Amino acid sequence: MKKALAVLLLIAIASVSVFAEGDAEGTGTAPAFPTKPIKLVVYTGPGGAGDILSRKFVDIASKYTDATFVVENKAGAGGIVAMEYVAATKPDGYTLMYMTKSNVSKLVTTDSELDPMTFDWIAQMQIDPEAVITNNKSGIVTWEEVVADAKAKNGSQLWLGPAAGGLDHVTAQMIWKAAGIEGTWVPFASGGKAKAALLGEQGITYTGNPGEIIGKPDFSVAAVCTAERLPQFPDVPTFKELGVEGLENEVMWRGFAVKAGTSDDIIAWYDDIFEKVTNDPDWIATYAPQGNMLVHVTKDDFNKIVQADYDAYKAAR
Amino acid sequence: MEILSNFFMGLGYLINIQPAIAIVAGVILGIMVGAMPGLSPSMGVALLVPFTYNLQPHVALILLISIYIASEYGGSITAVTINTPGTPSAVVTAFDGYPLTKQGKAGTGLGVSLVASTIGGIIGTIILIFFSVPLARLAVRMHPAEYFALAIFGLTTVASLGGKNWIKAFLAAMLGLLINTIGIDPISGVKRFTFGTYKLFDGFPLIPALIGLFALSEVFTRIEEYKLEKGKETKFDKKHWPSFMDYWKLKFAIIRSSILGTLIGIFPGAGATIASFLSYDLAKKVSKTPESFGTGNPEGVAAAEAANSSSVGGALVPLLALGIPGSASTAVLVGALMIHDLVPGPLLFVERPDIVYSLFAALMVANFVMLILGLFGARLWIKVTVIPKKVLLPAILAISIIGSFAVNYSFFDVAACLGFGIAGWVLKKYGFPVAPIVLGMVLGKLAEQNFRRAVIMGGYKIFFTRPASVILLLLALLSLGVPLYQTYKAGKKEKAGV
Repeated sequence: MKKALAVLLLIAIASVSVFAEGDAEGTGTAPAFPTKPIKLVVYTGPGGAGDILSRKFVDIASKYTDATFVVENKAGAGGIVAMEYVAATKPDGYTLMYMTKSNVSKLVTTDSELDPMTFDWIAQMQIDPEAVITNNKSGIVTWEEVVADAKAKNGSQLWLGPAAGGLDHVTAQMIWKAAGIEGTWVPFASGGKAKAALLGEQGITYTGNPGEIIGKPDFSVAAVCTAERLPQFPDVPTFKELGVEGLENEVMWRGFAVKAGTSDDIIAWYDDIFEKVTNDPDWIATYAPQGNMLVHVTKDDFNKIVQADYDAYKAAR
Repeated sequence: MEILSNFFMGLGYLINIQPAIAIVAGVILGIMVGAMPGLSPSMGVALLVPFTYNLQPHVALILLISIYIASEYGGSITAVTINTPGTPSAVVTAFDGYPLTKQGKAGTGLGVSLVASTIGGIIGTIILIFFSVPLARLAVRMHPAEYFALAIFGLTTVASLGGKNWIKAFLAAMLGLLINTIGIDPISGVKRFTFGTYKLFDGFPLIPALIGLFALSEVFTRIEEYKLEKGKETKFDKKHWPSFMDYWKLKFAIIRSSILGTLIGIFPGAGATIASFLSYDLAKKVSKTPESFGTGNPEGVAAAEAANSSSVGGALVPLLALGIPGSASTAVLVGALMIHDLVPGPLLFVERPDIVYSLFAALMVANFVMLILGLFGARLWIKVTVIPKKVLLPAILAISIIGSFAVNYSFFDVAACLGFGIAGWVLKKYGFPVAPIVLGMVLGKLAEQNFRRAVIMGGYKIFFTRPASVILLLLALLSLGVPLYQTYKAGKKEKAGV
């Protein structure tokens, strides 16, 4: 009899604790996410622009959450190594990846089997317009001078920039088409080396972002791919003003993604963090002066942007 | 002398507890980073960047620059003691440093590499302080055609590196060049020999290859010798610490290599490894006893180390004068500066002269701190040579695997390292030197990319219409022809003698 009582008592205690636990989960009093450190995968080596941005994000996010972010650099193959790595993780929200538009173009140019929708693109944070940059001492500084020189050289005008097939190269080709000129793209190992060559007057222009000339008085921005002039660069004309149509929205964007299939609760948690970082004065003070538009585009809209970019790259190939 | 008064103002910033700690800590960390195969100077600097967020900007920069300069020296420690170059540029240091150790003269190798590094670092800094603006203007004018000619010139050093063995040295260099063709073509984006795996998109990484070819192949060779317990032949002799006179004899080699190293360092895209190879080659060519190079000539160690340490000052020239990084490590420094809202470039001299001149002063002081710490440390590092091989060989194996994993946190790199280790062991067995493979891998990229870039920019004739390119190509021809002719003549004489 005593044994039977003891068993009953045990069952009672066990069921109480089970229900109690169930109750706690149901009402959500305990934080469900995150319960362990979040890995932030960066596709460049330490010290690269993407690495710095990611670490800045982690630094600012720590003001608003107790969650721990651990930056992990997975460099290689222009981001494919990192994307393959994240694609192989579970969609549990504990692996976040820094992404840019060039990751999307890399998927296309390397014929990767990865679909961009392997990821949920949860936060677009920066939009950086493309621009044509010139050397102040070369005598060909303004857009009109670039066009006149291009026409005189009939296709042999040299445009310097990073790797062939990348975002800057594609933008340059669109500019040539829209402006009715021709040029020759000279790919360098990095944007920095191409800028060095522009300073050495080895070519006429460099295609990149306006922020790249800050602190370097030898460079000018000839024209920028936006609809309106940038407040940070009030003297720089847009292509539209110069009579070149169809280049109002050629941009580089930067943001973050997780593996597709991550639950909505987790994404809502991220939305909150990204919203707070976007409005943080330190974030704005660091990135606004560089000519960036600081935004916060969430999952559904960002996914559409990525799909559209991917389709456009596919179509152009 | 405005520069000098500014420089002393910069020194003033250093007389403070925080900068002083930053220099000492940076130098110690730098030596360790350099000595660890797999951690290159740029990775060492990058790993420390996150720790500098909350430091004052000039303290942060002082710490990073101290790591950078000390790690270029640190690579020579393992190159001399265990034939495992800790950094790519220390490959050249091992040519004569390791034979010295084998002869029981590890003290000479370590002493010379330390002093040559220090003097090289100081000469590089002086050139940086006084001539950065005109030199930077020159550096950006270096056309791809000239980079190509420089790379070809560098490749011809194989002829003198190889000596009598030049055919095998050439084949090894060719192998290096062939390895380079693996991966996505840097100019047109075509995939070459990638076999459908993205892991080969960047080709074989240099650092795991380096560790495999040098450290692992050495381990395999030793294991093959079986006589592990009889590790007595590396007994070192206290008498072999070089005296002042020994250093004095090397003065021309050190000064010449330092100037050459700084000059090569200023060109974005050349770098410490090429600087070391070229100045070693130059030292050998002007030497009265070129045949002693490769058998433990301290001049070879001095030439290599003075060149790679002085290239640090050179690499900072375009960074500070134009805002363009001249090396992988200075690219990381750009990031570190930006975190503190400082933009490297000519405006920095105007807006924040305190930062620029405390950087200059720190470079100078870090070299002296490195000398002092190095002199104490050398007595410790030399003990590596008396570790029983039973302990040392497994330790090298373990460090090699960790080091190759650390580059990209990738097991593919570990497998590549093992593969290169086996290849290196087999090649050495058949008398093929492995250093030309590294030279081929380093210069192949430079030669190929710049050749194609130059052709895009000006057609094939451009190599012969630019004077600097023509001169470099002619020098390459001489550099190739003269040693081969000498070897040919010496061979004939030998035959006639027999």
